Amino acid sequence: MNPSLKLALLVLIALEISFTHVWTVNVALIVVSLILMVWGHVTFKRLAMLTLIPAFFGAALVWSLTLRGTASNHFLLVIFTRMVAYVYMGGWFAQTTNPLTLTRSLEQNAKLPSKFAYGFLAAFNLMPKIQAEVATIKAAALMRGQVLHFWSPQLYFKVILAAMNWSDQLAAAMTSHGFVEDAPRTHATEIPLVTRDWIMLVGSLVLVQIGLFVGLP
Amino acid sequence: MKRWHIRDIILVTILAIFMGVIFWVITPLYSALTAVFAPMGLQPLANEILLGVWTMAGPLAGFVIRIPGAATLGELLGAVVEMFLGGIWGAGTLISGVVQGFGSELGFMATRYRHYNWVTLTLSALTTTLVTFAWSLAREGYIAYHLGFLLLLFAVRFASVFVFGGILTKLITNLLDRAHVLKH
Repeated sequence: MNPSLKLALLVLIALEISFTHVWTVNVALIVVSLILMVWGHVTFKRLAMLTLIPAFFGAALVWSLTLRGTASNHFLLVIFTRMVAYVYMGGWFAQTTNPLTLTRSLEQNAKLPSKFAYGFLAAFNLMPKIQAEVATIKAAALMRGQVLHFWSPQLYFKVILAAMNWSDQLAAAMTSHGFVEDAPRTHATEIPLVTRDWIMLVGSLVLVQIGLFVGLP
Repeated sequence: MKRWHIRDIILVTILAIFMGVIFWVITPLYSALTAVFAPMGLQPLANEILLGVWTMAGPLAGFVIRIPGAATLGELLGAVVEMFLGGIWGAGTLISGVVQGFGSELGFMATRYRHYNWVTLTLSALTTTLVTFAWSLAREGYIAYHLGFLLLLFAVRFASVFVFGGILTKLITNLLDRAHVLKH
């Protein structure tokens, strides 16, 4: 499925089940996401994590709502299945979507301005460097006997200086390689958006509406 | 009003990734807090105590970059980073990211992107708390809590958002100001 439409579908369904109280639909979404994840060769370890963690947090929330609130059993069931459904749908999306393809699709199909698409990509490619930089900053401080925690302003100060430096350099590098903001571009890789994608989007949404409003528990 | 240029876009993204990497270390803390609070039925408190940390990218990006949308974008990109780093909450964090970012953004919007001081950050902390709390009422079923407990949750959430998004952000920007790297 086209990544932009896939994202739209996911966000729309997640928003909708946040405000509706039909646990059977949540369970149906969980089952469908599970099938899609198995189909997409998501590893067993990942599936186990995607199940255990929301089950733990969901159970804790349900327990808390029971002790400190006035929730009915139906409400508790809705909240629990909702949390698992979120995680499963999110897991399906994150595990079966390539960030590069998603960004290309957002640029070509969803008309995201190319400066955003390429700006995000440029920064995301620095990920390993960014991780190394945090470790370096912490180690450098340790050498002076200073321990930097996540609540230390100095840590963020140094990180922001590095971010400013790198963004200047990357932006200059892109400009010097001929990147012009808002100029028309051609694409090395075209992301197809075909009728089948639209049918899947609309079909899934219709199915969810039927499930939500036909009077299921 | 300032527009987005490629440098700002890269800056806000790198900033979001940095925050994502730094915050990665508190995930075990969150699980531990939940495990401690859960038996007493206080699980949401774990969430409230740490919420200020998750929402900090918004006010920080808004304060440093000073372009409309910076807070929202900073927070949303933080969520994207978390999603692709292998965060369990996956795409659900995208919606939370927008909600949290928009909450912070309202604070900057209220001062029309002209004033960057204590008042702005306090306002931003307040709007973040209000918006995210409304979201929790619906999504996490907070609506079913007794009023007293709900007020406690709200107070803890505001305190957390204020400490991280307000006080810590102000301390960081003070340092940046002294280094003359913030544009006025």
